[in-house]
Amino acid sequence: MDELLQALVQGFFVGSAYGLLALGMGLVYGVSGIVNFAHGDFVSLGMYLCFAFFTAFALDPYVSVVFTVPIMIALGALVYRFLIKPIAGRQLLMVIQLTLGVALLIQNGLMMVFGGQPTRAPSMIESKLFLVGDVVIRGAHLVACVVSFALAILLYVMLQSTDTGRAIRAVQQEPRAAALMGVDVGRVQVMTFAIGVGVLAIAAALLLPGLPIQPTQGLRFTVITLLVFVLGGMTNFVAIMLGGIVIGVAEAIGTIYMTHTLGQLLPYLIFVAIMLFRPQGLVWRS
Amino acid sequence: MRPDFWPALRSPIPWALLALAATMPFLLPNYYLHILTITLVYAALASAWNIVGGIAGQISLAHSLFVGAGAMLASALLVKLGINMWLGMVIAAAASAAMGAAVSFIDYRFRLGHLSFALITMAFAEMAEIYVTNTEFLGGASGLFLPKDKGDLLAFQFGGISGVYWIMLGMAALCVVVNFAILSSPLGYNLRSIRDNENAAQAIGVGLLRNKTLAMTISAVLTSIVGTIYARYLAFVDPYLLVSPVLTIEIVLFATVGGLGTALGPAVGAILLAPLGEILRGHLGGFLPGLHYFVYGLVVVGVILLMPAGVWPSIRARFTRKNAQEAKAS
Repeated sequence: MDELLQALVQGFFVGSAYGLLALGMGLVYGVSGIVNFAHGDFVSLGMYLCFAFFTAFALDPYVSVVFTVPIMIALGALVYRFLIKPIAGRQLLMVIQLTLGVALLIQNGLMMVFGGQPTRAPSMIESKLFLVGDVVIRGAHLVACVVSFALAILLYVMLQSTDTGRAIRAVQQEPRAAALMGVDVGRVQVMTFAIGVGVLAIAAALLLPGLPIQPTQGLRFTVITLLVFVLGGMTNFVAIMLGGIVIGVAEAIGTIYMTHTLGQLLPYLIFVAIMLFRPQGLVWRS
Repeated sequence: MRPDFWPALRSPIPWALLALAATMPFLLPNYYLHILTITLVYAALASAWNIVGGIAGQISLAHSLFVGAGAMLASALLVKLGINMWLGMVIAAAASAAMGAAVSFIDYRFRLGHLSFALITMAFAEMAEIYVTNTEFLGGASGLFLPKDKGDLLAFQFGGISGVYWIMLGMAALCVVVNFAILSSPLGYNLRSIRDNENAAQAIGVGLLRNKTLAMTISAVLTSIVGTIYARYLAFVDPYLLVSPVLTIEIVLFATVGGLGTALGPAVGAILLAPLGEILRGHLGGFLPGLHYFVYGLVVVGVILLMPAGVWPSIRARFTRKNAQEAKAS
């Protein structure tokens, strides 16, 4: 029983960070209709930026976020403007392949700069543990969960009640009509992509404590993000956060209760099942 | 068959090129022969993928399943059960065909769109890697070592690099010819109509399940056989190389760079990129690991932005335009 509770709590905390990863993807998909297969490599890049700030200035990852977010936002804007935008109207396959190319560039750029050995950027908080009842809570997980939800709420409020947010939602619903109403669709698309990548800089710092990083990990983050993104029905914010928690809990339960192999497979099995039987996502409103 | 298939096959140019390629083991030192062999492996894999990904427009990211089955299953049957690798190759190809048909059936039954198909096949590829690296029979995480190549053809041994080179040359040529044959046959027209508009194709009576399954099965069998030969060549069968989703991504990128949906494009892409990658890795991999993938990334991004149809169609268009102009001038 304790084990189950522990798994649920841990899955919930890690899953909320997964949800945050997928929010960026959902935002971009809603506005531009593209799926970014370099998503996880941007996370990877965010982690290595934190690592670079740690080795150069001994900054804690939670502090260096102040610098990594603007860097990643600028990078996201450049990538969208000069690489994705020229082909955005064409076949989906093109964009997938282009972003796979970008993934190779980031992954191996990191490999050339930082080398292939696993490394770590320690944080002052990573060894802090809290005991609530019989459940052990890691400080880093708690921070990840709180910040993820806060950011999700912030994004939601931004989308609902600022002009920028309304412009983003307008483009999401009907780009042509939005353009006729004077919304600069191109600008909104660049902006959402930049925000989507900027959010990843924060998610990277949240996932970093205690996690060994290596350049080739990007694809795994991409896949986790895609799982959550699809579970959440691709654009629904609440459902995406929920999807993150489902995947996080599935992972935690799988590693405790099942054989090693089956535990690792469980998130993918859930993904395939949902994809086939509920392609519109977990939560669906007509 | 469209009438230009047989004349093209009877034309002396491809045969001359093939004969020229076949003399390479007598001319080149082993290092360069190794690069050519790897190039042929990728040319064959990219051409086989093209049947599904290019001609039929189904972005399959599950082809590492088939390479993996061909490599790991056939090797495991030999190493663990002592089953002759020729038979192992056939068993693995049959298993790949069954998996390919299953994927096609799922695609048809649930009417997956392009994006869903890509995501589901990617999930299958991830699961395959986890499964193989955790299954002792298939070599687990540490892989399998094949017995030494003594040149016994009956035991699937080709007597070193020259033999493997010839076999792979034949296999790559076969994959290209199959592409060419499909493009000139009713199947090719059906597949292209499915690629361009699935609903319209179905409405005029193109059987989705039959055509998609056929394309996927042909592609899976070819891919699996290449996998078995590649495993024999490597002798050490590494799951993190052969069942890795990264392998599929490489195949897809080579095919895209060369030109999707054309018979020769994917092979051209592999011929352009694979040697470049091997040479960069061989010479600079020591102090700049990852450089060859970085260059792949640059080339892919550049080609998609500048020649979205791929390199081969661009070259072809240039030639035909020149011919047309000359014809007009004369």
